[in-house]
Amino acid sequence: MSCRLVFSSQVYSVETIKKAAYRFSDVLSVDIIPRPHETECILHFISGSKEEEQAQQIVAAFKNEVLDQDLRSIISKETEAIRNAVLAFALSKTGLQGGE
Amino acid sequence: MSKFQPLSDYQQSLVDGYQLLPFRFTALDDREYVLTNQAGEFIVMERSTLEALVRHRLPATNQFYDDLKSKHFIIDHDSSVAMDLLPLKVRTKLGRLADFTGLHLFVVSLRCEHSCPYCQVSRQSDNKLAFDMSVETAEKALVLVFRSPSRGIKIEFQGGEPLLNFSLIRYIVERAEAWNLAERRDLQFVIATNLAVITDEILEFCRDHDILISTSLDGPADLHNANRPRPGNDSYERAIAGISRVRDAVGRDRVSALMTTTKLSLGRVREIIDEYVKQGFRGIFLRLMSPYGFAVKTKWFKAYDVDEWLEFYFAGLNYILELNRSGNSFTEFYAATILAKMLTPFEPGFVDLRSPAGVGIAAIVYNYDGDVYASDESRMLAEMGDKTFRIGNVHRDRYEDIMTSDALLGPIEESFAASVPMCSDCAFEPFCGADPVFHHATQGDVVGRKPISAFCTRNMAIFRRLITLMRDDDEVRRIFVRWANSR
Repeated sequence: MSCRLVFSSQVYSVETIKKAAYRFSDVLSVDIIPRPHETECILHFISGSKEEEQAQQIVAAFKNEVLDQDLRSIISKETEAIRNAVLAFALSKTGLQGGE
Repeated sequence: MSKFQPLSDYQQSLVDGYQLLPFRFTALDDREYVLTNQAGEFIVMERSTLEALVRHRLPATNQFYDDLKSKHFIIDHDSSVAMDLLPLKVRTKLGRLADFTGLHLFVVSLRCEHSCPYCQVSRQSDNKLAFDMSVETAEKALVLVFRSPSRGIKIEFQGGEPLLNFSLIRYIVERAEAWNLAERRDLQFVIATNLAVITDEILEFCRDHDILISTSLDGPADLHNANRPRPGNDSYERAIAGISRVRDAVGRDRVSALMTTTKLSLGRVREIIDEYVKQGFRGIFLRLMSPYGFAVKTKWFKAYDVDEWLEFYFAGLNYILELNRSGNSFTEFYAATILAKMLTPFEPGFVDLRSPAGVGIAAIVYNYDGDVYASDESRMLAEMGDKTFRIGNVHRDRYEDIMTSDALLGPIEESFAASVPMCSDCAFEPFCGADPVFHHATQGDVVGRKPISAFCTRNMAIFRRLITLMRDDDEVRRIFVRWANSR
């Protein structure tokens, strides 16, 4: 049993879709096919046939996960420099290295 | 005459915008999301608010704005103090890394007079002296113990049943204490024992050397004895008598107990907790079985799945909260460990919930034969024939070789949760840990695919439940704050 979804390339990166696909890898395997203006996804349900309602719930959850991954991507890009600065300070001068 | 500026002047200062600081988010339920910052402080909000926050559309008048600012999710031109405070908070959380290895486990004997089908260490029958640690091996291991830079050193005697080789325990304790006269570390000793063979001589030694006793108590007599068979079928009676003797001879607070959940425990969580209350313990660690040793061979490990265990655990947690509401102060220690991560500035240091993983750098095992393992679970795996996490031998290897071996550093680096798929953007990552040994044992890979990981399923469910309970009930929140600060 499978289902086809199409995401606009202007809105969602392939990276975002890949992350969502990984998160669902217990119930789905996903073919990701990038095209110039869209990314096509074929969702295959791993445990074979699903009740229609259950399948729709999984597909809806997958779409929401793509939305969440898109938000995460925005946060990640905007805060990358600060994130690295915070970690650099937090992990500096631990006393475990010689010469500190 | 001086006069306040008009209200619009102050409002103007807040609408100039804000800058996001690093945070992660994960769905809590159908309605709300959990957001955590790098130091593990968290906020719960609906998705529409989250989206507005990320897209810089959250007005300063929003009910979450001040909370987001005080917990360092955003900074605005009114205050950038977060840029100083956040790194300090993260550094405090990571402080234990610099302490390095504090827990040193000595497997002084693999012999045991019990024959528990869920035994995770593959004990040997109690007449095979070949499975006892020698004095020479203990000496070499002690050299390694004191090479650790940790200010606190805890030496824990494990088995089998370690008291079957009590003469070596006595030797190690006295040697370590003599060594410590110059080292001046905070030195502690623990014996993990079933108490069945404890004697007055041993109790006297424990009292004189301030040794803690950690024992096993699986619940009421019939359950405990079914889980833990021994000649005479009197494991429970000996454990209870032993607990009483330790309290009398060594001190009331010098004995603690651990339970292991078996198929027989399911449906009996209230009776198990009642047994702990009856025996005067302040709390319980509702602990599931691990995939090692006889527990795998006898198929006891597969007798229940993670969902069945979670049902057991949550029923127990609800019952313990009932006890607390009725005035009986009693703690579930696994929840308390997680709550300390959620609600205090400190990292409790529980080995299974650390990232980088605690293997080797938080705890290390010296096996009876001189082999050194990265964790207790690592040596359990080795007794099943898989020596992936054997990081050296006390007779052959130097401290530097052991602590920089590929067998240790590889799994720690690869499994670091902040850079692992799915964990890296999970809001619960600050509360969770990397468990490379579990994932190697169950998936053949130290990282493991989290969507099919029982470790991930179990901990995510517990994180969600604890946060939901706090969100929905102020009294539970007060109880949890007490637990978080009581360890």
